[in-house]
Amino acid sequence: MARNRYDVDETLETPFDFRHLKRSFVYMKKYRVKMITAFMLSVFAAISGLLGPLITKYALDVTVPNKDIKQLVLLAVLLIISAVISIAFSNIRGRIMTVVGQDIIFDIRTDLFAHLQELPFQYYDDRPHGKILIRVVNYVNSVSDMLSNGVINVILEFLNMLFIMLFMFFVDVKLSLVVLSGLPIFLLVMFSIKTKQRKAWQDVSNKSSNLNAYLQENIVGARITQIFTREEVNADIFDRLSNKHRKSWMHAVTFSNLVWPATDDISTCVRAAIFFVGLLLLPSGAATLGTVSAMTSYASSFWQPIMNLSNLFNNFINNIAYLERIFETLDEPATISDKPDAKEIGDITGNVEFKNVTFAYEEGKTVLENLSFSVKAGESIALVGPTGAGKSTIVSLLSRFYDVNSGSITIDGKDISRVTLRSLRSQMGIMLQDSFIFSGNIADNIRYGKLDASYDEIVAASKVVCADEFISEMPDGYETEVNERGSKLSGGQKQLISFARTLLSDPKILVLDEATSSIDARTERLLQQGLNKLLAGRTSFIIAHRLSTIKNCDRIMYIDNKGITECGSHDELMALKGDYYKLYTSQHI
Amino acid sequence: MFQLQWIWHNLKGYRAVYITALVLSLICNLLYLTTPYFSAQIVDIYINNENAAANLANDRHGFIMLLVGMIGFTFLRTVMQYACNMTYEYSSQGMIYKIRNHLFNCIQEQDMEFYDKHRTGDLMTRVTGDLDMIRHLVSWVFKGMVESLSLFTASMIYFFSINWKMALLLLSVTPFIFIVTIFLRRVTRPIYVDLRERLAKMNTDAQENISGNRVVKAFAREDYEIEKFGESNRNYSSQNKKASLLWLKFSPLMETLANLLSVIMLLGGGIFLIKGTLTMGEYVAISGLIWAISNPVRNLGVYVNDLQRAMASAMKIIEVYYSKTKIVDRDDAVEFDGRLHGDIEFKNVSFAYDGKTVLKDISFKIKAGETVAIMGETGSGKTTLINLIPRFYDTASGSVLVDGVDVRRHHLKHLRQNIGMATQDVLLYSDTIDGNIAYGVPEMSEENVKVYAQLAAADEFIDKMPDGYDTLIGERGVGLSGGQKQRISLARALAIRPAVLILDDTTSAVDMETETHIQNSLKNLDFDCTKIIIAQRISSTKDADKIIILEDGQIREMGTHDELLAKKGYYYEVFKLQNEGFEKEAV
Repeated sequence: MARNRYDVDETLETPFDFRHLKRSFVYMKKYRVKMITAFMLSVFAAISGLLGPLITKYALDVTVPNKDIKQLVLLAVLLIISAVISIAFSNIRGRIMTVVGQDIIFDIRTDLFAHLQELPFQYYDDRPHGKILIRVVNYVNSVSDMLSNGVINVILEFLNMLFIMLFMFFVDVKLSLVVLSGLPIFLLVMFSIKTKQRKAWQDVSNKSSNLNAYLQENIVGARITQIFTREEVNADIFDRLSNKHRKSWMHAVTFSNLVWPATDDISTCVRAAIFFVGLLLLPSGAATLGTVSAMTSYASSFWQPIMNLSNLFNNFINNIAYLERIFETLDEPATISDKPDAKEIGDITGNVEFKNVTFAYEEGKTVLENLSFSVKAGESIALVGPTGAGKSTIVSLLSRFYDVNSGSITIDGKDISRVTLRSLRSQMGIMLQDSFIFSGNIADNIRYGKLDASYDEIVAASKVVCADEFISEMPDGYETEVNERGSKLSGGQKQLISFARTLLSDPKILVLDEATSSIDARTERLLQQGLNKLLAGRTSFIIAHRLSTIKNCDRIMYIDNKGITECGSHDELMALKGDYYKLYTSQHI
Repeated sequence: MFQLQWIWHNLKGYRAVYITALVLSLICNLLYLTTPYFSAQIVDIYINNENAAANLANDRHGFIMLLVGMIGFTFLRTVMQYACNMTYEYSSQGMIYKIRNHLFNCIQEQDMEFYDKHRTGDLMTRVTGDLDMIRHLVSWVFKGMVESLSLFTASMIYFFSINWKMALLLLSVTPFIFIVTIFLRRVTRPIYVDLRERLAKMNTDAQENISGNRVVKAFAREDYEIEKFGESNRNYSSQNKKASLLWLKFSPLMETLANLLSVIMLLGGGIFLIKGTLTMGEYVAISGLIWAISNPVRNLGVYVNDLQRAMASAMKIIEVYYSKTKIVDRDDAVEFDGRLHGDIEFKNVSFAYDGKTVLKDISFKIKAGETVAIMGETGSGKTTLINLIPRFYDTASGSVLVDGVDVRRHHLKHLRQNIGMATQDVLLYSDTIDGNIAYGVPEMSEENVKVYAQLAAADEFIDKMPDGYDTLIGERGVGLSGGQKQRISLARALAIRPAVLILDDTTSAVDMETETHIQNSLKNLDFDCTKIIIAQRISSTKDADKIIILEDGQIREMGTHDELLAKKGYYYEVFKLQNEGFEKEAV
């Protein structure tokens, strides 16, 4: 799928079919004992609810004419008991299904979230994050009732309908057919609006997803909005998106709201038809008056579950729009994942080899071609070259964020595409250009590199990267609360924290991608000294534009023209008087 | 209740429509009471009547008319009901639309303090999930309440007209209903308040996980993230259960009360029948409509429960809805015509954040058109200092003057329109490159966009992209290298042709050649512009008219490149660090 943005609807790759429905049964299956219990309870509740009218009838027919107050009290007590039983049963059913419903959406959400963790960068790069978020949170919430109570109610109402139908046919076949004659009309109405209704609700889900995307981007980018005084333009865009959402909603309910009144009308027509047919059309005596009277009341009872079913169907159609988006995400292939026969890579020493690696992000746009090099464990390698030449791509491939198109990358002789991602990445320390700060305190952010790190370890790592000083000066020290886009930390400070985080993970292979670009020269100098000690025994790849950062590396690779154009130590490359020499001398005044 | 007032306030423009809807639904409900009339008539006259057969033979017309009436009234009622439901949707959507837009504007006008306090996921919950609860309240709960209440009242009046003793007996249940309802309201409230906090927490966790997906993968922390999210998912889920189970504790009470009506009908009615104070016809009439008072009793609890949930959400929305930013136009703001010159002066500026002094007694002057570089250690206050110019924060003491006027007396928008800023943390939008560069001037033509891209040395790589300027870039500019993002951000700042250009570490990730290109463009801009550049590289600062060295929030050195070198202080030290070994190589 092409990259998506906030004002473009995402096309649905797989249109809904009933396999999706079957799939949701997988989630219910786990709770089938509870669901069946709940179902049985409902049946009991319904039966005990039926006792009420019988008791009343008996009271009016027998007890009252007999003026038997004692018996009347007894019947009242019976009525209370039957009601209490009925209430108790439905209440227990409610309790069971509440738990089941919540558990089902908990399961779906867990699966969805876990699957999202497996998805490659590409997935996140290709769509606004708000659109992913809305699926995990809002959409999943929407389907809870449908997948729990909805299913039970459908079965209940259906059984109810069948039950009454049996009674009807028992009483009078011809009039029963009259009652049933409404069914085709009902189905016709339902199916004729179904397609439109479904599309309309899909549209609603798209529009709310767009809205969410725009909202998220603007909350994150509030400062940019303010500095560019875009408030009014943004308000207009949001207004447009919001209005589209409103319109799509109004369009959708135009259909949804039709269902109930239409069913109501059909049901009334059917009852009228029974009077008409029963009293006028059928030759007198074919149907007794008592039969007609009974049939009309059956007709009402028969159409009641149908009306309820139509309502359930309605909900179902609305929520399918969300369910299919959830399943779509679950079906998104995790292109970068462990091969079936993937093994743990084991403890690595850090020998890296690229063999004839060719790679393109998009077909036809080769970034690297036939790249080969090898790095011995413990070596430090600097990657330099013009922006966009593919330096970051090389380290991304090494971490297997992307798979090579051809060729191979090995670590200690093991092809990285044949080992488990976790065993590979957990031994690599990758510091990216963007230093992401999670909301929480500073210590937690550093601890992200090693979850069981002690406080002392955190402080030690911070000291190495010269972050301890500023952290200690903060109001709550390491306990200071920070967040994603907070202004408490400067860019350089964020980089230092993310540096400490990387070091704490004690990687065998260290990748620094413009990791120190926002750090001042003096801090960087101190950092260098700490780093030199740390780099010992680790293979490291450093990308930087400030050549002072990379001069001390064992080898420097100049990346250009889809490959390495120069490679050697600083002195060697200076002697070569090539691209590196030009780059280096241009940095000095 | 304040929340209700707030809802009423926001219904403005839709109030008449909404009240019409309420009245319509009231009428529809009363029409429900008419439907049984027709079938009852048919049964009475043509079925359960001694002369049923004769009636049917003689008055066929009347029979047909009753059937027509039965169908006709139902059609009328359903059409009305449809219209009524659509009216509810129309007015609730209209209201939600208004609130949503207001919230959006409110959020984007907030100052940095607000953003430090509120997490993205939490704010999003308010605009989405919480707002949906309000929609539900207006389009469903209120409607239900009005319907229940009207049905109950109408039936009661009808019952009183039939037999006041029986009616009074039935009415005796109502006090209990009120007691239960009030109690229900009290206990559910805190649970719902907590529930939506947990929803917001889950939203925040998911949002950060998605935004930070690169870090998660880099550290192979998927399992940890799953566990962490699992916890907030579980917390939300269990609170949801708790809320529902609490409601289920109450619902049997409401159900019992509803069923009690039938029991009273049987026992009380039966005794009255026996004693002769109630006729059989009266009994049938009342018991036939007993549902019209028991259903409202049954439903009331549901509505109150939902009401409480919506109130908890409303509280959260209102918090943002009425939140005020401290940084607003003052009444004595000075009117400026058109473009500012770009004179900047800091007069004894101090600034503290979170009780910690960040800037102390900063004073300097920049003349329009000058270039000033700011250098200093990480955390020395560089970014804070420049943030005071577009008034992202107000100073604690002292003042920042632009064109000789305190920024606090500028019109905020006008001031900011004159400032172009490329922030350190480059934020791009999931839009085309063209759209990103023209962010500040949306109507800009593509040729013009290209001009600014060229100035920022971005044109070349953009042209190489699959769709050139129409290439969609992901959120936060994912898919671009750090240097590429910085250049787009620079082009975006230049595109508004600002009087003051502020570059916060904007060229840190670009290579030297590109930086030289950018520096040349900045020198030869075709508009007057004061430039303030934060940088770490001497190469970026050396040509500045003035270089300011910040240390711990104070100015430590200030002067030109040569002056500062001669001073042999911090600047000289950095110079040496960055040119180490150069002399040796040059030989």
